[in-house]
Amino acid sequence: MKNIKPRDRPNRRQILTMGAVSGIAVSLGSEAESSALSQSATMPKIEIARLEDLALGTEINFYFPDEDSPAVLLVLDEQVQDGIGPGQNIVAFSSLCTHKGCQVNYYEEHKMLICPCHWSSFDPAKKGRIIIGQASSGLPQITLAIENGSVHATGISGLIYGRQTNVI
Amino acid sequence: MTEKSPLPPKDAELFSTVCQFCIVGCGYKVYKWPEGQDGDATPEGNAFGLDFTKQQPAFGTWVPSLAHSIITQSDGRYNIAIIPDDDALVNSGMASVRGAGLAASLYRPDGPTKSRLSTPMVRTSAGAKAANWDEATELGGRVIKAVMDHWGADAVGMKFFDHGGGGGGFENNWAVGRFFFEGIQTQSVSIHNRPAYNSEIHAASDAGIAPLTNAYLDAQLADTIVIVGANPYETQTNYFLNHMIKNLSGESISSKENFLSNEEFDSGRMIIIDPRRTMTVATAEAAAGYENILHLQLEPGSDLWLLNAIARVIYDRNWHDIGFIQNRTEVQTWEAYQRSTLMSGQSSEEFLNEASIKSGIEIPDIIKAAEWIAKPKASRIARRTLFHYEKGLIWGYKNYENIASIVDLALMTGNLGKPGTGCSRLGGHQEAYVRPKSNTGRPARNIDEALRRGDIKVFWVAGCNPVQTTLHANAISETLRERGRIVSEALKNSLHMPVSEQVAAIIEALKQGGIFLIGQDIYPTATTDLAHIVLPAATWGEINMTSINGERRLRLYQKFMEPPGNAISDWKIMARFARALHKLYSADENPEMANRFLDFDWTDDQAVFIDARHSFSGNYDDPMEGFAGVDYKILHGLGINGIQTPTRLINGALTGTERLFEDRPFSTPSGKARFIPAPPPWKGYAAKVEKQRNNHRFWINNGRSNHIWQTAYHHKHLTYYNERAPIPYLEIHARDAEELGIFSGDLVEVYNQVGSVQAMAYLAGSVKQGHCFMLFGQPRGAIGKLILDHVDPDTTIPWYKGVWADVRRIGQSPDLSKNISFKPTNFAG
Repeated sequence: MKNIKPRDRPNRRQILTMGAVSGIAVSLGSEAESSALSQSATMPKIEIARLEDLALGTEINFYFPDEDSPAVLLVLDEQVQDGIGPGQNIVAFSSLCTHKGCQVNYYEEHKMLICPCHWSSFDPAKKGRIIIGQASSGLPQITLAIENGSVHATGISGLIYGRQTNVI
Repeated sequence: MTEKSPLPPKDAELFSTVCQFCIVGCGYKVYKWPEGQDGDATPEGNAFGLDFTKQQPAFGTWVPSLAHSIITQSDGRYNIAIIPDDDALVNSGMASVRGAGLAASLYRPDGPTKSRLSTPMVRTSAGAKAANWDEATELGGRVIKAVMDHWGADAVGMKFFDHGGGGGGFENNWAVGRFFFEGIQTQSVSIHNRPAYNSEIHAASDAGIAPLTNAYLDAQLADTIVIVGANPYETQTNYFLNHMIKNLSGESISSKENFLSNEEFDSGRMIIIDPRRTMTVATAEAAAGYENILHLQLEPGSDLWLLNAIARVIYDRNWHDIGFIQNRTEVQTWEAYQRSTLMSGQSSEEFLNEASIKSGIEIPDIIKAAEWIAKPKASRIARRTLFHYEKGLIWGYKNYENIASIVDLALMTGNLGKPGTGCSRLGGHQEAYVRPKSNTGRPARNIDEALRRGDIKVFWVAGCNPVQTTLHANAISETLRERGRIVSEALKNSLHMPVSEQVAAIIEALKQGGIFLIGQDIYPTATTDLAHIVLPAATWGEINMTSINGERRLRLYQKFMEPPGNAISDWKIMARFARALHKLYSADENPEMANRFLDFDWTDDQAVFIDARHSFSGNYDDPMEGFAGVDYKILHGLGINGIQTPTRLINGALTGTERLFEDRPFSTPSGKARFIPAPPPWKGYAAKVEKQRNNHRFWINNGRSNHIWQTAYHHKHLTYYNERAPIPYLEIHARDAEELGIFSGDLVEVYNQVGSVQAMAYLAGSVKQGHCFMLFGQPRGAIGKLILDHVDPDTTIPWYKGVWADVRRIGQSPDLSKNISFKPTNFAG
């Protein structure tokens, strides 16, 4: 009898730790800061990147509003709904698929965010709306603002997978 | 922005149910608690016992917005949260996009579903007027009786649901069957999606094979899964994701080790026979690797050629299972099959060449499919192949022979009655058929034609919308509108008269060519909009009901809320009318007729279930739905995994059937299966189809999609679903679109000599040039308006997929398309 290993498909543990990092990784920093955020139960504001560093095609993985909540910033090649920046083409979303909480990956070929677990796909150019799949909402969109030449995350529209409230 | 998901408190009421939508029947938990009494985020403060002050892990529990609603009952307002059940073997805690929105689909008078029908109505040419149940039943019952007395029972026509899940269930089906087959005794009957009362798979039943043979576990055990004319990622979602994909990805190897200890095995392969490159193809390739998926993109109407060619290769190479054929089939039918279908007198080369030309599939791929299905393993043990088929084959050209071809393939390769095998429909809706025997003949009467001829004087439609979804729908729409107008006018003129005079006026109108239409549904539809009596039905969640899923898993779907207003369950409606007719015939001193309508005095849902149960004997004669020995208490105790039908009582113990035909004989007098020799293979299309094909540029394939259930009766009201397909989309190849100046999001007209509909263009790599795919059943552009009235003469099953039409650009549709993504729906990374 042949002993077969499962084909390469991310398991649940891998999904929570893997990151499709093709850009710059940004975290919230220290545990103390994160803890303080939880206690305050208010939406934080974090700096993600300098505007001047955001070339077309940039993908930055970061965490928002806390270190348990991965997110992704994308610089698209077209003006999009709720995009910011000179080209109104900078957007960011929660990376947790709203179906079962796996972390989505960005596919530059079609500019789609796709969940590796059950293949729900989302369109970053349409506010993270579903393209096809089993997710029952689009990806929560991170509200971005530009201050002093930097892009900041300031809020979230939509509920992050696995939470009662976005700020916990 | 504030986003908050309500949590059920510790003392929330808990109900068990099954999704109301597709055949897969995923298990769900329903939490109900009074408004204003939410649980809190601490493990001690909510019914999940989870700490929502922390992020829940992937595959954890939470309440997304569509999984929550607030309903209004007679004693106040309640929260409802409906989440997938981790203990359900079918779905293991996963929701499809449809099931995820079960809570959102519930009736709420202050929400998107507020248009539910909630009170009976009588409609005249002056408009609709609310009525109470006694008034509606009195009028309808008297008209039915008068029509039977004047024209006979066959002048009473019906088109009814016959399914499980939402709106159906064994209880409602039994009452409908009792009323029409024992009471009225009409032959003018038809099933919700077709013009006759007939099986969609006569060939399988002639072979002695039930529609649903396998367990879902078999999809984890098979060496090869064959999918013909179906798109399970989108429309049988959690069967595909929770069972088939586990096999393709290798996750079910441990199950194979448990069940298949004496043979070699590997991760599964899949053959997909579909003209489109669907999301099923893309995700199967992502899970299994491209080399383990064989996608055969055949030409329309050529399924029979392709399947028989695969069988011929298997036959030529002696890969068929001669032991199974000798022991489990009527051998003389195998001999006939070799001559008629496999054309054993013809050279293999000639056979395959012709099949390749007709189907557009290269011969090496036909041979590869045969190898994957039947080439024995190294140890000479037969491969385990699970065959699945659905509407692409059923609603294809030559329904009878199409089904015969796949059943014969399964029989010749011995793929029935063993783990990892089967030959089953993938299914659309759930099943729950239990009715007294009908006497509709074969081929069954074409009711659409009878309506157009004027033979039917009363037409009762329930749980379906033929004005939009039947074939050549414009003709039926026009018939009901024109003939109905005569009765509407009579009703207006007699509205304030005693009911006996009203009925006399209606009968006069019927003599003038009119038709009296009764519409029974949960929402207003294009059909109820024409009905003279509108009857509001209760649905899923508002009644206790039972159904089986695609592996015949029988469960109790618990009632957890009240229906809107005066809506009542379908079985109660049928019982009301039966009692009315009993009373009318008794008053006529006609006991023979009165007795036909006796015994409709069920007291509750379970009483109907038990009454229906008397149809079953608990032995091998029962159909696949048989539930001998089962009652609600037993089902409640069995919980979300229920029991697989048919059930048997063995030494007093209730026993289910995991897969059919292991020890169970086939459903023929001999107990052995029959090959169904198909007539000589197809030589061409029917004349009217050929004419349409020659006159129009595009083949308009059509079907269901991930987000929209059937006619969108719920989903058109719910923004998340509706904004994905606010009108039907038309997938069209980029090069064809470029020639016609069409861009994604454009409004287009799809037209032929039958009719015309509007759709939204979706440039897609899923379809070949010259092919399009259109969403089926969308109320703002139903494909029925384009379909010829051609049916398979042997079965009266339409060729719904056989539409040719032209496409032209109307213009942009920015309001409709602004929220729609036009990225590929068949890309899995």
